[in-house]
Amino acid sequence: MTSSRWVRHGVRLAVFAAVLFWVLPPGDPYRLVSVDPLPPTDGTACEWSPHAGAVAYAQALKRVSNTVDPTPIRVIHDDVATFSAVAVDAVRNEIILQDENLYEIRVYDRTANTPPNVPMTEPRRIISGPKTDVEFNCGLYVDQATGEIYSVNNDTTDKTVIFGTAAKGDVAPDRALHTPHGTYGIAVDEVNKEMLFTIEHDNAVVTYPKFAKDEEPPIRLIQGDHTGLADPHGIAVDPARNLIFVANHGSTHKVAGKPQAPNWPLTRSFAVPGSGQLWPPSITVYERTAVGDARPVRTIQGPLTRLNWPAQLSYDAARDELFVANDGDSSVLVFRGSDSGNAAPVRAIKGPKTTLSNPTGVWVDVKNDEVVVSNMGNHSATVFARTATGDVAPLRTIRAAPLGKKALAIGNPGAIGYDSKRDELLVPN
Amino acid sequence: MLARTMHDIRYDAIHDEIVIPNQFAQAILTFSGDARGEAAPTRVIQGSASQLTRPDRLDIDPVHNEIVVPNSDSVVVFAREATGNAKPLRVIRGPRTLIKGSSALAVDPVNNVIIVASQVRPPGRAQNNYTPTTNALLVFDRTADGDVAPLRVITGETTGLHIINQLQVYPPKGWVIVTQTTTDLEPEPPGIFIGVWSYKDEGDVAPRWKIAGPNSRLKKPRGVVLNPKNKELIVADMRLNSVLTYYFPAIF
Repeated sequence: MTSSRWVRHGVRLAVFAAVLFWVLPPGDPYRLVSVDPLPPTDGTACEWSPHAGAVAYAQALKRVSNTVDPTPIRVIHDDVATFSAVAVDAVRNEIILQDENLYEIRVYDRTANTPPNVPMTEPRRIISGPKTDVEFNCGLYVDQATGEIYSVNNDTTDKTVIFGTAAKGDVAPDRALHTPHGTYGIAVDEVNKEMLFTIEHDNAVVTYPKFAKDEEPPIRLIQGDHTGLADPHGIAVDPARNLIFVANHGSTHKVAGKPQAPNWPLTRSFAVPGSGQLWPPSITVYERTAVGDARPVRTIQGPLTRLNWPAQLSYDAARDELFVANDGDSSVLVFRGSDSGNAAPVRAIKGPKTTLSNPTGVWVDVKNDEVVVSNMGNHSATVFARTATGDVAPLRTIRAAPLGKKALAIGNPGAIGYDSKRDELLVPN
Repeated sequence: MLARTMHDIRYDAIHDEIVIPNQFAQAILTFSGDARGEAAPTRVIQGSASQLTRPDRLDIDPVHNEIVVPNSDSVVVFAREATGNAKPLRVIRGPRTLIKGSSALAVDPVNNVIIVASQVRPPGRAQNNYTPTTNALLVFDRTADGDVAPLRVITGETTGLHIINQLQVYPPKGWVIVTQTTTDLEPEPPGIFIGVWSYKDEGDVAPRWKIAGPNSRLKKPRGVVLNPKNKELIVADMRLNSVLTYYFPAIF
């Protein structure tokens, strides 16, 4: 055996002894008590490499997860479409519904009416699947001239996606626009060719050119302490009177800092500590071209308004009437566009005959003199006469589920709690 | 006073109360345990003295009567019965804490620790804004206050931690249960799992248990809670809009 091989053996023995010394727990009967001196060498030592056994032992010591793939013993899931927003294509006679539960856009015949004894109505087409980029789809608009559908994603993908009339199944959108995280409502100004969005998370309104796509930036931004914007949701525009209407839930906070990009809202990362407030719900009205920390020209707010989590807005310019999907008390409220302060609605559709259940979408179809409502609470869209008021039955109903089936309304659950006293699960949505 | 975006909910079994953060209003809302319909909260913590910045999640310590809130680059602790423009009892904040963009936490009143999900700049690297951050679980003494170092840090490639969501603890065994989604930007991100660590773990260590795979049906878990009586682990999955319950006696 050459001297270098002796050296290698000696080094290996020393390494093994050191490993034993460090890994054996205290009290172990096998303790290292001595190491023999290395035999004489000729002075040439090889590069040390760990002994394969020592490496394997060290790896065995490194913890590996106990990976388990259990089958759930119970699943709470609603397998039926749940409708958040609505739009009516009066040219092609279609009602378009956002399904925020299964991430679909459903297109129905406008005159469809699900009979009570029929479980559901089949849509003409469904746009859904990974290529569509549709997820947590809330805001909705349809271009009457082209039939293009504009779908706003509130979470995850931070995009508004636009589909043509031929879109069906799992297809990529014709174009997509990067919109701020937490975008909710959409209104399109066909006179000035602009798109307006509410940004729920940032208490802001951003305006883009109507045909903006990809990373094109907004051209205007409303955000600031004096705007009155507070968890904004629905939005409508009146190009004739140059006004914007915004529905606010009421939660707000101040932001301060340098914008990251032109007309891009300051995000929650720029929140001023301790500046949060809870205001009554409202509809704030702005000049169409307002920018920055613009004060509303009017605010509809107060107990007479009956506003309660107001969601999608739809504006009838000919009659100056603003329709509000009033999620919180399952009603549709109608205000004059000129209303201000603690104004009572001029009409309200509400009551058991209406079958309204957590309506978050509304669209006034001026051509057919109807108002169409999407109900998050019961898998349906309900159609009323435009002038309907009080506790009236809908003219027609489109259902995605059997009559009376309530929606679970689990939407984008970010947490869960367990009430051990009542043996109940608590799911914020 | 609730918002459409709420990322935590906790039930206090001792006082029969439900506590929810409203990050848009920088508020902590407490409701009676039997609240239903349009019930007003019994208490609201909100205001300049609260220092609340982005209260996305929280936890209750019903034993020591405290509400603990991850607050961006700090953790604020309130008396459970605090209301209005209340000052925190304690604030864990400063460079030694390693807290940055804390997204979630859980408090273990038995083992006296707070576990904070946070971005951290790896120890040994320059601690400035140009140093890339990584995800970590920071274990603090429950009574920590001011600029104090965590007792232990769980972070590194082996942990698999990336975008941590709701946390729970199981004090009898000292477990920390973690939901993590790996990215917020993909509907069905790869690498998601529910991980179980011990509050005594430290460094770049894999979870004791890792729950994931096709049988689990999990796509993007963001919420988790335990039902010890039935040995169940219950998960809220964002992508599936679903709640999934697993019988998982190993951790109880």
